[in-house]
Amino acid sequence: MFHKHTYLLKVLIPLVALMASCSDDDRYIGVVPEQISPVIFNIDSLPYTNLSTYNFFEGNMSNLDPVYGVLPYDLNSSLFSDYALKKRFIWMPKDSSATYINDFTSFDFPIGTILIKNFFYNDVLPNMVTKLIETRLMIKREDDWTFANYEWNDTQTEAVYTSDNKFVNFDWVYKGEPKNVNYKIPGISECFTCHNKYGTPLPIGPKPQNINRNYSYEDGSKNQLAKWVEQGYLKDNFPTFINSLVSWSDETQPLDLRIRSYFDINCAHCHSDESYCEYAPMRFAFNETEDLSNLGVCVESIFYINPDISYVVKPQDIDNSALYYRLNSNQDQYKMPLIGRTLKHEEGVKLIEEWINSLNTDCD
Amino acid sequence: MKKKLLIIIAIGILPVISLAQISSNSCDDAETASPIIGNTVYTVDGFDGTAVSTSCSTTGIGTHGEWYKYTPTSDMYIYITSELSQNFNVAGGNNSHDTFVHIFTGTCSNLSCIAGDDDSGYQDTSRTGFSVAANETYYIAWDNIWDSASFDFKIVEIDTDLMITFTNSTINAPGLDRGVVDMNGDHLDDIVSINSTNITINEQQPNGTFSSTMYSTDGIYSASWSMAAADYDRNGYTDLVYGNSSGAHVLKANSDGTAYSVAATSHSVFTQRTNFVDFDNNGDLDIFLCDDVAPNEYFINDGTDLTLWEGDDPNAPIAEGLGLYPSGGNYGSIWIDYDNDGDADLFIAKCGGEPARRQNELFKNNGGLSFSDVSVNTGMDKVLSTWSSAWADFDNDGDMDCFVGSSVSSEPHVFMTNRLEVPLDGNGNPIDGGPLFEDTTSTALPEGFYSFGHENVPYDFNNDGYVDIFSNGNMLINKGDGTFVVYSYNTTNPDYEPREGAVGDLNNDGFLDIFDSGRIKYNDLNNDNNDRNWLKIALDGTSSNINGIGARIVVSSPSFNSNATNKSQIRDVRSAEGFAYMSSLNAHFGLGTDTSADSVTIYWPSGTVDVIVNPTINQTLVVTEGETLGLPSTASDDMILFPNPTKQFLNVNMNVIGSERAIYTVFDITGRRVLNNRLLSNTIDVSMLSSGNYILRIINNGKINTQKFIKQ
Repeated sequence: MFHKHTYLLKVLIPLVALMASCSDDDRYIGVVPEQISPVIFNIDSLPYTNLSTYNFFEGNMSNLDPVYGVLPYDLNSSLFSDYALKKRFIWMPKDSSATYINDFTSFDFPIGTILIKNFFYNDVLPNMVTKLIETRLMIKREDDWTFANYEWNDTQTEAVYTSDNKFVNFDWVYKGEPKNVNYKIPGISECFTCHNKYGTPLPIGPKPQNINRNYSYEDGSKNQLAKWVEQGYLKDNFPTFINSLVSWSDETQPLDLRIRSYFDINCAHCHSDESYCEYAPMRFAFNETEDLSNLGVCVESIFYINPDISYVVKPQDIDNSALYYRLNSNQDQYKMPLIGRTLKHEEGVKLIEEWINSLNTDCD
Repeated sequence: MKKKLLIIIAIGILPVISLAQISSNSCDDAETASPIIGNTVYTVDGFDGTAVSTSCSTTGIGTHGEWYKYTPTSDMYIYITSELSQNFNVAGGNNSHDTFVHIFTGTCSNLSCIAGDDDSGYQDTSRTGFSVAANETYYIAWDNIWDSASFDFKIVEIDTDLMITFTNSTINAPGLDRGVVDMNGDHLDDIVSINSTNITINEQQPNGTFSSTMYSTDGIYSASWSMAAADYDRNGYTDLVYGNSSGAHVLKANSDGTAYSVAATSHSVFTQRTNFVDFDNNGDLDIFLCDDVAPNEYFINDGTDLTLWEGDDPNAPIAEGLGLYPSGGNYGSIWIDYDNDGDADLFIAKCGGEPARRQNELFKNNGGLSFSDVSVNTGMDKVLSTWSSAWADFDNDGDMDCFVGSSVSSEPHVFMTNRLEVPLDGNGNPIDGGPLFEDTTSTALPEGFYSFGHENVPYDFNNDGYVDIFSNGNMLINKGDGTFVVYSYNTTNPDYEPREGAVGDLNNDGFLDIFDSGRIKYNDLNNDNNDRNWLKIALDGTSSNINGIGARIVVSSPSFNSNATNKSQIRDVRSAEGFAYMSSLNAHFGLGTDTSADSVTIYWPSGTVDVIVNPTINQTLVVTEGETLGLPSTASDDMILFPNPTKQFLNVNMNVIGSERAIYTVFDITGRRVLNNRLLSNTIDVSMLSSGNYILRIINNGKINTQKFIKQ
């Protein structure tokens, strides 16, 4: 199946936008030209060698300006990836849409869905420029998701498919201070390690609880779920109330919601039943963390770190809390998350310290 | 009020003494009551007695206490524990009964604390241990400060001469503590610690002191997950392999051991356990790399170069692969000879994910880079999240048994007893239809062993001739009757006792020590404070790899030989044991109270057999491959081969079938071992050999018989 870019389409877009405002008017139904996404999607040829082949973006590709049908989205709470900034998009083939399962499970996406996640840094030294590092795709094919990673070239004109681990070393300015990162582009095996349950690949971010938020679209701010319905990407059969994550960095939110939102997106994909680290007792998914013992509070730490640490989380005692030690460590054999970071997430560690110090359970 | 009686019903083979006993409501009541005894489960059936007046812990004192009297009949070590499975997971989630105990000596009018414990056991249970004197009375008072519900407890008694304790000693060893292994060829164990750009070696001197030197490296990967060691290029200095989640590399010592440089690298492996092993049996050490997130990798050593293979590469030389589960789950690889056929087989402790990902695997080495997955047939295919296993002949019956140490409280530890002694069919499977390994967990392992982690290693720490298991801060002490008693170290002590680490002899006294968290834990046993004897054997291979890795060493002594209840003791030389660490390459044997050894037999991977008769004990015996005359020969006409010449099969007319250790080996005319296996039927398939002259050797009950044959 091919969706070809046409010249006519570009001409029609302003007209469509105008008509959309009159969509209540029956007279226009039937004459609105159907927009066709120019994304090139040949399921038998995926993954393409070059990112540009998909035609997700128009103009200079590094500007990440999406073509029609490639919808930007954001998450309430997002994963820390060595301070990389992220721009996410979703695309689906014509006449297909996702279905709501529950608040805490990724939507049931139709075949052909592509999740597009771009990783970049601003203020990269020496020239204080924006540098795109990689673009990760998850493509729904038949019953399975396929992972495809694209590494951006130095001139930022193209990104090329890679399935192996790669390191990109550079300096950038973060909060006014220069920082270095030896950024790791994960190989396919590492992608799968986090993105699976029962050995079946799965997306992590696009769950109703994490999509349920407003986004500033070009035509104004709108709830993402409503926008997806409007775009035809989501069936309108989900509940009005969705128990949702908050932005973990939003200090106006209650601390317990912030920390549970942080743990959900950073930890829950491995610390779940039949996932990579199912054998540790913690369960970090948002829907399971009202029970503090699932966060390791007053739970004995099984794996030895040092003689001072006997609990996963000991209230008001970060030095006796394995969870804090692991989030605060950059040593490969101790650090958490195990995959996806080489730098310490200072803001995350601070949040965890604040949370541990706020707990008043007595473990004795 | 007196408590009601509880009758404990003994289940299984272990002789569990079941006695009814009641708690008393005060020290005075306990004084006149019958004393309780060891290894018996008692129930504290709620609290209504008198609280203690003095707390034996900083925790404080509750409102009530329940009292017992205990009077040991001999000096011994005991611990009092409520760490029993029936006390776990009772208060919702991860919470047990929250017990608290005080122990006193003296008289009821003048009690003095000798121990107390709140939460040292699993979950909120209690466990405290101490030495007791014969006929002294001890008062045990359980306290309800946290919990007044009924719970069970028992006293575990350990004979004083079984006890294994350590004394802490500091050493300057910056970096990750990874190895106790000889680095310079003097057969004394040195200490190896790794930093990102350097390696520190504390070289053991003949007088037991250490000389510390830091060597630069050009390594790029940390030794985060494991390190293994061996002299793979045979230059007299030990080389290292280590890695982290991004890759692994081989660090080769230069010609005088003063620098270590990267000789080979995998940028793709998510490193877990690493091993040196000559799995293709060409005399040169190969390297195995466990991969956490993908199929395993290995380097093949052709004598000159190391070539890296990803296990699932369609061109890889091991067609069957060695652990090909797509998303990995490979944590603890260990190369052992489980079937006594003279070559190194592979067991992989697996962890995490769906059941198929954490199903453990055993691969039989068929020779010639051919392996068979025998996990299911042998019964070693347990679905069990584990990071390592400990393999040794724990029951001294001549084959390697296995303790699989769980890493998760919901999947218990497993003990598997090897049954090579039962009659086997031509495929090496028991003819009784059962698996080769029998799950004997319920009889072998002690109740109340609920400690989990990464590290499980088998060593005879008390030199009594029975191999113990050091498991995550616990010593499973082998009682010599097929069962273990557990002693748990106090790993939260400021001068903390050992939790995990590399094992070797760090003062060359024949009693094994541990290098843990940058400190030496010296074994408190030594040649002056007990009557145990020992023998260490260090190998210098010639046609085999220089470290003798893969060799099977058999030591016979008066209490351990083929005519005794305990057969001769056996060890495999391995690199490495456990999960992260590299332990000594010297084979260590405790001899118990035997004051002599009859023989040491070394079955080298090359096929060479060396026999040392009446070796001097309490020393390190260095054996160079081929230095002895080997095993005695039987008369050549004891064995008839036909047809000879042959095109496909050799029939062996010799009464060896089913014997304890009958192994056939085929050497080519250069003396190179080309075939090797247990002789399980009268027919040997030689169809894969190229045409030429060969020598068939059969080892049977300690004697050899060799005959020439021609392959057409």
